[in-house]
Amino acid sequence: MANIVYKGRGAIPGVAEGIALVSRETIQGWSGIDENTGMIVEKGHPFEGMSISGNILILSGGKGSNGWSCHFHAASVKGIGPSGFIFPKMDSRTGVAAVVTGVPTITDLEVDPFTAIKTGDRIRIDGTNGTVEILSE
Amino acid sequence: MLRLTDYEQEMLDGKYGKLKKKAIENIVKYANVLGAEELCEVTKAHVFAGAHSYLHAVESDDIEEVISEMQFCSKEKISMEKVGCFCQTDCGPMDPIKYKSMGCTEAEGIKNKEYLDYYSKFGIIKVGTCVPYLTGFIPLMGEHYVTSESHAVLIMNSLFGACGNADGLEAGYWSAICSRIPKWGNHIMENRKGTHLFNVDCKIKTKTDWDLLGYTIGRFLPTHSIPVVQGDLNSIDIIFLKYFYASMATTSGPEMCHIVGHTPEAKTLEEAFGGNEPLEIKTITKADLDCSRKLINDQSEGKIDYVSIGCPHLSIEEMQQVANFMKGKKVADGVVFHVWTAASIKALADMNGYTQIIEESGALVLTSSCPLTSEKKPEKAYRLAFDSCKQAHYIKSSTDAPVHYGEMEVCMQAAIDGEWRLI
Repeated sequence: MANIVYKGRGAIPGVAEGIALVSRETIQGWSGIDENTGMIVEKGHPFEGMSISGNILILSGGKGSNGWSCHFHAASVKGIGPSGFIFPKMDSRTGVAAVVTGVPTITDLEVDPFTAIKTGDRIRIDGTNGTVEILSE
Repeated sequence: MLRLTDYEQEMLDGKYGKLKKKAIENIVKYANVLGAEELCEVTKAHVFAGAHSYLHAVESDDIEEVISEMQFCSKEKISMEKVGCFCQTDCGPMDPIKYKSMGCTEAEGIKNKEYLDYYSKFGIIKVGTCVPYLTGFIPLMGEHYVTSESHAVLIMNSLFGACGNADGLEAGYWSAICSRIPKWGNHIMENRKGTHLFNVDCKIKTKTDWDLLGYTIGRFLPTHSIPVVQGDLNSIDIIFLKYFYASMATTSGPEMCHIVGHTPEAKTLEEAFGGNEPLEIKTITKADLDCSRKLINDQSEGKIDYVSIGCPHLSIEEMQQVANFMKGKKVADGVVFHVWTAASIKALADMNGYTQIIEESGALVLTSSCPLTSEKKPEKAYRLAFDSCKQAHYIKSSTDAPVHYGEMEVCMQAAIDGEWRLI
């Protein structure tokens, strides 16, 4: 079966492959991510207890501290950051996070990523061509 | 497609040195990520300085290496240069003088000083506060600024008409050096029209009412929206608004929030929405505020160990209120009571005798940080109380211990009684 491919805008170039973590509810920066372990520690968040490390985060946007980016940045410097991002629409917090982590990032997707992609899907994102591919099992 | 001026292109080409080149490279990347078409000139930058814990990601004692990688995304070590605009520091990880009394070690204190002194050499003024608008950092209508403090964006955009986005951590340093930021989002006046209407159908009179109102609106606010608030809000006051905007920027991420009849781009409801229809209309009731309070005030009572007020940092007027309340009273044995403000406001409190009165009660006046930013609370402290939704929310996220929220007077009384009681 052919993989499903969606088109969007590549914001940060490069290719990443990983498991999708999909949440309309964004993660808070402070007390949201433990940058020493890559674990999501925000109480009550659907991803609480899961790791950002090596995964592709699909989030609605940033919230809380203007330092939202620094937690992802610190995790990336330690080698436990996400391998890519998909944001339906960019904002200032996610924009800086994309730049400082430097991981492939896609935005302005032709479909709603929250319905098109499920947590646990293995996906490949190409930030150079602006594509998201859901890989068949 | 991003267009650069000749000067910006020269910076990018390296004509003005390595750091400016790196700074504008990052700004250009950021602009392309956002889809911005041009850059704008920044006149003020409020930056997150000091030896913050996230900097430990770079395993080095060389602060230039750490700053190069964590602030400028450069693996190559590049020395700081003079900043290109008025630049002052946000909250740091500790009180620069009384850091030991809040649980920091001598080594941590020395390292923090090393960072602040280093930045200071290049023109970044050591101010150390989350309320820069109370310490001389006041961008006016149409002026472009950056800040690392989320509620300061809401104050400066909504109240002053100034232009900024919630991007000021790493991007704060890039802008401070190259004086540029992408002209995008709230830097363009047409983008600042309201999207969601909140009708307030309950009494909003006190600081705590405003704090809970902000927290509540944030709970209901979708990502990427601009709230417009209307109702009987005549109790409005700059001090109340610092709580309102701080709590709103905790439960959500807005960068602009109009208050009809009070903020300059919302003289009328029609002006606030720019003639557009609201995408959603929500009524906020007393029950909604009560629900917010329950979310951050643990429904238990018992011996209190730690009380902290001053998030956002207390104004001189609030320092006077604390002194008036604490005069002649004593903090209960075993309770640690911290009162947080900016260093310049503490200097005024010292001069007016407020600090002495507060500290004679057994409380401690601290500056330049807070429990959230310092990630410190007194050793063995279990039950905690705060008079700020923002502080209570984030601390609650990071501990299993009971966290309480209440009026400043309720928190002070708990420190005196040594006990938190449910009302």
